[in-house]
Order: sequence, then C-alpha cells, then structure tokens
Amino acid sequence: MSKTQSRIDLKSYKPKDADRVFFGGASLAAALSLLLVLMIVAFLLNGSWTTFQQQGLKFVTGSIWDSASETPTFQIFPMLYGSFLISALGLVIAVPVSIATAYFIQFMAKGIFAKVAISIIDLLAALPSILIAMWGLLVLTPVATGWSELLTKHLGFIPIFANDEPNAFRSPFIAGFVVAIMVIPIITSVTREVMSRVDKELIAAAFALGGTSFSSLRRVVIPTARSGILGGILLGLGRALGETIAIYYVLNLLFETNFYSILEPRGGSIASLIISRFGEATPVELRALMAAGVVLFVFTLIVNMLATAIVQRSEKRMAS
Amino acid sequence: MTQIAVRPTNATPWKNRNRKNVALIAIASVAPSLIAVIVRFLLELPGAVTLLLIFLPLQLLFSALAALILRGKRGIADAFLNVGVIFSTVAISILLGSVLFSVISWGLKALSPHFLYQNSVYITPTTSLEYGGVGHAILGSLIVVGLVTLATVPIGIGVAVYLTETDGRFRGPVRFFSQAMSGLPSVVAGLFIYTVFIASGLVKPVGWLGAASLLLLMLPTIARMSEEVLKLVPGELRAAALALGAPRRRAFFQVILPAAKTGLITAVLLGLARVFGETAPLILTTNISNETNINPTSDGMTTLTTYIYSFLGAGYDTSRQRAWGAALVLLVVIGILFTLARIFGSREVGKK
Repeated sequence: MSKTQSRIDLKSYKPKDADRVFFGGASLAAALSLLLVLMIVAFLLNGSWTTFQQQGLKFVTGSIWDSASETPTFQIFPMLYGSFLISALGLVIAVPVSIATAYFIQFMAKGIFAKVAISIIDLLAALPSILIAMWGLLVLTPVATGWSELLTKHLGFIPIFANDEPNAFRSPFIAGFVVAIMVIPIITSVTREVMSRVDKELIAAAFALGGTSFSSLRRVVIPTARSGILGGILLGLGRALGETIAIYYVLNLLFETNFYSILEPRGGSIASLIISRFGEATPVELRALMAAGVVLFVFTLIVNMLATAIVQRSEKRMAS
Repeated sequence: MTQIAVRPTNATPWKNRNRKNVALIAIASVAPSLIAVIVRFLLELPGAVTLLLIFLPLQLLFSALAALILRGKRGIADAFLNVGVIFSTVAISILLGSVLFSVISWGLKALSPHFLYQNSVYITPTTSLEYGGVGHAILGSLIVVGLVTLATVPIGIGVAVYLTETDGRFRGPVRFFSQAMSGLPSVVAGLFIYTVFIASGLVKPVGWLGAASLLLLMLPTIARMSEEVLKLVPGELRAAALALGAPRRRAFFQVILPAAKTGLITAVLLGLARVFGETAPLILTTNISNETNINPTSDGMTTLTTYIYSFLGAGYDTSRQRAWGAALVLLVVIGILFTLARIFGSREVGKK
C-alpha cells in the first residue's frame, strides 16, 4: 500500500450526524457478518461436540460407520483418506498440464487468440460442478472405464493398477480425473496470472545472454513465479477437498479404506458422504455428519489460509 | 588497399531458413503423426494409447533430432518443452472442449420453446420431451439467487466499506473471518442450515432456506472482492474530496463509489455466477417440486441445479435429456453473467 492510501484521520475529527449514520451502517454490516460467522462456528462446534466426545480420536482414525446399533459408532478415516486420495490424484493430473497450458497461453499464443483463451479458461473456472458431474458420469465414465481396464490388463502387476473387482466404474481414478478437470482452469488461471507478472525485461535479458526458452523458463520464470503457482495449486486443492456433487455421481462410497487401488470401484469422500447420508440420518448420525463436516472445514481452512498467505507474499515480493 | 567488406553468404544467420531446414522441420512435424496413424490401424490400438505411447515419444524424438541438427545440443530442451506444452494444451483443450460440447450438443436436442417456460407437473422421468420443461426451475433459481443477492450485496459492500473507509477496531477479525469463511465447503454450509432449521423441525425445506445457505457462501466472496476493488480507488481522490470539505459519506457516495462502480458490479456478477451453479447446499435445504412456486416461504422450490440433480439421478434416457437441456440453460446463464462481468471488469477502476 502506498502512503497516500492510508486513512486521512485527524484525531480531532468528529463525525457529523449523517456521517455517523454512514459509519454506523458499515459497522452494522461488519457486526452482522461477524455475528454470522461466530454463530456458524458455535453451532458447528456445539452440534459436533458430542460426537467428538463419544468417538474420541477414533473418529478420525477408525473406519466403522454404524448408525443402527445401540451404541452407534462413527469413524470417518476411509472418507477422510479418500478425500485426500482423490484430491491428490486430481492434482497429479492437473498440475503439470495446467502449468503447461498457462505457459502456452502466456508465452506462445499471440494476440486475440491468447485473449480468447484467457476468457475461456476464466469461464471454465466458474463452471458449475453439476455440469462437470454430468459430463463425468455420462461422457467420461464409459471412456475412462476402458482406460482403467487396459491399465489393469497390461500394468496390473503394479499394485496401484491392480483391480480384483468385477468392474471399474465409480473408482477413485475416475473421481480424481473429474476433480482434475474441475481444478485445471483454476490452477491455469492463477499460474498464467503469476507468469504474466514476471518482469518481461528479465526474460529478454535471459535470451540476450544466450538462453533458450527452456533455460529462461527454468531459471527465470519458474523461480520468480514459484510461490504464486504453489498458491494456485493450493486453491485448487481447497476446491477439490470440498467438491461434493461431482464426486457423488462418479464414486462408490465404501467404509473400508482404499489405500492405493485407484482403479477399484471403492473410495471415500467426506463431502459426498454428507450428501448421500443426510436424508435418512438419525439425529445422532446427523451430529456425526456435522462433525465430519467440521473436520473437512478445518482442512480446507488450513489449505485456503496457506494459499492466501503464499499468494499475498508473492504479490508483495513481485511488486517490490 | 582499402578493405572491402565481404557480404556474408547468409545475411540473416539467425533465421537459418533454407530448403534443407524447412524440409527437416516439415518431416519432424508430420512423420510422427503419420507413423502413429499407421501403427494404430495395423495393431488396432485404442486412441488414447496410440497418442500417449506411440505419438508422444515419436514426436519428442523427431523434434529433438530436428532441433539437434538445426540448433545443436541446446535446442533439445526447447524441443521437449515445446512438444510437451503443445501436447498438454491440446489434450486439455479437447477435454474441456468436450465438457462444453456435450452440454451444448445434448442440450440443444432437448431445447424447445416450451422447455423454457413449462413446468414439470405430471412429468415422470420417462415422459417424452414434447411435454414439460424447466420454466419452474428457472423461476426458482432467479428467486433464490435474487434473495441471496438482495441480502448479500448491501451487507457485503458494507463490510468492505467498514474495512476500507473506517478505522473500526474490529477490522482485523472481520477481514480474517471473511477470508476463513470463503473456504467453507458448500456442503457444510448446506448441512449447517439443514441442521439448524430443518432437522430441528423449525421449518420445512423452503426456498428461503436455500437462499440462506447460499448467503453463507456468497457473503465472504462479495465482501472480499469489494474490499479489493475499494482498495484500488486512488487515495488522492478520497483526500481531495475531504480536503474540499466533503463529509465522509459524501466523499464515499459521490467520489469513491462512482469510481469503484464497475469493479463492484464485476464482483457481484462473479458472485452471482458462483451461487447460480451451487447444487449441494440446495439439495440439503430445498425440496424439489414439479410445480411452479413463486413463494420462497412455503413448499418446495426447484432450481436449475436441483432440477438437473433429480433428473440425472433418475437414470432414464429421457430424464438425462431433460438434465442436459437444463444444463445448457444453466451454462447460458453463467456465460451471460460472465460476459457482463468481463465487459464491466475491462473498464479500469477509478475511471468512469
């Protein structure tokens, strides 16, 4: 922030009546939003507290979900692990191609073509997840099942590609692929933005010193843009962790941790668990779902905070 | 003897473009795809396998060889970079293009004038597409999103004003919490409203509850984006207005707000685009109904996204076609909001 932007505030300044209304309105809005947040936090913690108390640490480490018995057990490890497995798969697919696409748009595409590409990427980043869910279920699944069967047939000796189940629908691989499609525009958009802020003269200087496109990318662009790109990846991860509806359609939820068999039709996702269970949940189970939601929120919160901190730091560094 | 400068044989050595080199580049660009096509038909390989295991390695090899001959060792890395970048960009364009293409091509088949204004009374998942439509869902979406907008825009901009124009004591916490809330997973927001209002038996699932769950998602977005926009207004403008003796509220409404107007509109439009496409919270908080309902305080209210959800889940061909049709309508709405945001966003903040 430049100096001129700091508030012009004299200690002696006393707001007139109408100004008081203006300030009062703004403060009221701020108070309302703060109240809302505190209410949410209070309700979420209050609602999930009994679950945390009854289930203890096992809530996040165990893998039994049983609402029918007299002393119901709720443990979400398979779902928590599944959320991360799917997000990781999505990022493994999304990150390289997103960086490549951002590089293409920023440094190889020219003129109007680049402008149109930027608009389309931004539009795709705002694409509703239900559309991607439809595409994942009706268009991608048949194709990706074929890929999965091929992988199992030829590379089945590698544990992650093995599949002992009779089919390959609704597997973490397909869910990961759908999530990748969802986060690619986000990561591409942030990465391109960061790459566009790398000093053009630095790149020109790298070429003048006899550098090639590759060496200027490796020695100039990537080091300067690194933290910004990382921030973009974390933003994508935050979206992937919270993704509900798309995963709900393309994943078979099972309370049995699937550690690495990504082609088998069993997996987990906290967000999808909530949407698939809430309708028939008993009050106790509902509280457990809420606790699961709190756990998910804590993780997305950490990821988002890290992302914002990293992006802000890189913006500051680039500005200076 | 005066020395006569000898004109070099190649006046532009950096261009390095003679017949031999052009032929080399042509071979390197065409041969891999030709070989890949031939191999595919000889061995009857699936398309994806051919692309990844035959075409890509061949293209890398040929480009690297061509680069080695043309530019020496240092050209190889560039060749790999170019081939890799172009290959993944094309692959991604095909995948993302496929998403848009399927929505548009399938959606157009379902679309007809009555599909846009009729509701779904008496429509089962197997009813042919000659009857019924998404009219009630469009209306529902507009009502729910309209309610959210009415609530969030004043509060969100108010929060932004509080953060940028005042010296309030709670600016730190307010900023922190609105940042934190923007990471709230949409399904958790829906679950929150569901538990507080519906599971406790207070209210039946109705339209305004859907709006309430979306409010939790849109408010932080609007507040943060508006804060960014207001921050961009040059401090000199504010200072000048105050120096002329304008009270704070006049400085804001007559100087800062007009300067930030287009930016604020962009922020609101982007927020709208986001909540228009939300599904999970609405599944939790509203009842899907087949009738047209313009009253958000009673009975079920369908939105475009929950319409897609219910007809996609039904699993028949006709119901899927209806879902594609609704998806196209949704895509068009998002596209319009987005284009408007672009138009407003391209004007610079601080200028009228």
